[in-house]
Amino acid sequence: MPVSCRDLSLERRGRLVLHEVNCAFSPGELTAVVGPNGAGKSSLLETLAGVLAPAAGRVELDGRDAAVIPAAERARLCAYLPQSESPAWSLDVADLVALGLLPWGRPADRAQRVSAALERVDALHLANRAVTRLSGGELRRVQLARLLVGRAPLLIADEPTAALDIRHQLQLMHTFRRQADAGKTVLLALHDLSLAARFCDRILLLHGGRPIARGAPQDVFTPALIGDVYGVSCEFRWRDGVAEFVPLDLL
Amino acid sequence: MQQNNNLALGFLAALLLPALLAALMSGPVSIDLGAALAQGWHSEAGDAVILWQLRLPRALLAILVGAALGMGGAAMQGMLRNPLAEPALLGVSSGAALAAILLLYYGVSWGLARENGWLLPLLAIGGAFCAVGCVWLLAGRGASASRLVLAGVAINAFLSALMALALNYAPSMFAMQEIVFWLLGSLANRGWDQLLLALPFIAAGALLLFCARNYLRALSLGEASAASLGFRGRRYPLLVLGGIAASVGAAVAVAGTIGFVGLVVPHLVRPLVRQDPGRLLWASALAGALLLLLADILVVNFVGAQELRIGAVTAFIGAPFFFWLIVSGRRGQAL
Repeated sequence: MPVSCRDLSLERRGRLVLHEVNCAFSPGELTAVVGPNGAGKSSLLETLAGVLAPAAGRVELDGRDAAVIPAAERARLCAYLPQSESPAWSLDVADLVALGLLPWGRPADRAQRVSAALERVDALHLANRAVTRLSGGELRRVQLARLLVGRAPLLIADEPTAALDIRHQLQLMHTFRRQADAGKTVLLALHDLSLAARFCDRILLLHGGRPIARGAPQDVFTPALIGDVYGVSCEFRWRDGVAEFVPLDLL
Repeated sequence: MQQNNNLALGFLAALLLPALLAALMSGPVSIDLGAALAQGWHSEAGDAVILWQLRLPRALLAILVGAALGMGGAAMQGMLRNPLAEPALLGVSSGAALAAILLLYYGVSWGLARENGWLLPLLAIGGAFCAVGCVWLLAGRGASASRLVLAGVAINAFLSALMALALNYAPSMFAMQEIVFWLLGSLANRGWDQLLLALPFIAAGALLLFCARNYLRALSLGEASAASLGFRGRRYPLLVLGGIAASVGAAVAVAGTIGFVGLVVPHLVRPLVRQDPGRLLWASALAGALLLLLADILVVNFVGAQELRIGAVTAFIGAPFFFWLIVSGRRGQAL
């Protein structure tokens, strides 16, 4: 499903955190939203997911103004995982994952879908455990299963790899890659530029609530651009399409 | 595991019937239950009148009020994502209480006959709605759970101050005593009038909360995630608040303020529904009904100079359960 935002501005606590953002995301594309802390990554994702309402401009899902799409329908179009999500109750893992199916009512293949989603994040063995008895990384994987369990054509995850060990980071990025290859539109906020460069088709670099650059990893990840935005000197070593990002020092 | 839980819930439901029978048999006079039942509703015989006009409505009211309080507590804890929340936090009880106090005071001087069984409950329900409305307005648009609690605490404090003021300037000892008894909560001397008055409000409240069950489920993930799952806007919190105001407001209106049921009951049954905030509504209604009915049986059978107030009994039953919960929590079990 094609997704775009037009002249999107967002206000939070009286401060403008997104300034007239224009960008588009195509189906089959895995996009990483990167930028320093406070660049507006989470704000952009939350607005795209419909959690926050824009102050001006609009989000378009499949060419339709998202503001006029009923909330229940929008939830079937877009699945979203916030940066931090702490379950209020000690639900069982399988029950928490099943909450991702709420926009679809009670589908008959609920149990299978939940198992399949847990399998994808390597957490099937946790299915009957209470979520309060998971480690931080395990909980994050279970929450990602909640994101993946539905059938939404747009997946948005805010720093999905934070708290995960290296094996599960890679596994997760492969999972998102497969979702994109299957035709979904996938947007991830990432801090790990190496992972972003290796797995994503597109990079959206944000700074101060404005998109600074957008394009293929090779075009966006240049020492000059990264230096401007993050204030660090760095190197990108490209080897067989796998990028290694090496921060050198403060500028 | 799940089967055991369903069995436990079924057991609770099955317990309601013997408890109801026990309630019908309890009282200062012993009656021939079988004969009274056989004599029927219209009978003028002493036993039949006691059964049909006194004990049955009282027992049914205990069930209804207990269910409303339990359900309201479950909804409140679900909406605020906080296991320490209870309906009184929203000002429902104090709003109803203040309205009742004002009537108990000035009702006589305004020439309003207090014999009107429905006037006090109706005003109290109005008071409950007003209090919740004030909390909603004070918290403002799109308020987070914490701001709602804060607004509730503020409104509650103000209403408590007004109640203290009213007690302070009580026109007579008699009025004061009546108010204190009302605040302690009681099911004594309640009849079909009160039951029929509370029933539609509690049913409407239950219906509103039923419509909000998936919102409460989604909220276990947090407000942002609930919004992304389609539960956006003011409609859903309003459903829950309206449901609580109607059901708990009506319960307080007919039975006075009965504490602890709304706080403790959801805790007790949460493990039985695998912590699901949606199913918790019904399980809490069931357990609340049972708890209040048992408490009222205790009240009726308690022999003393003064009638025991049911609010005190629920706290006496509820508090030890809470101690036990905390101690088992200390052993590393989830609360």
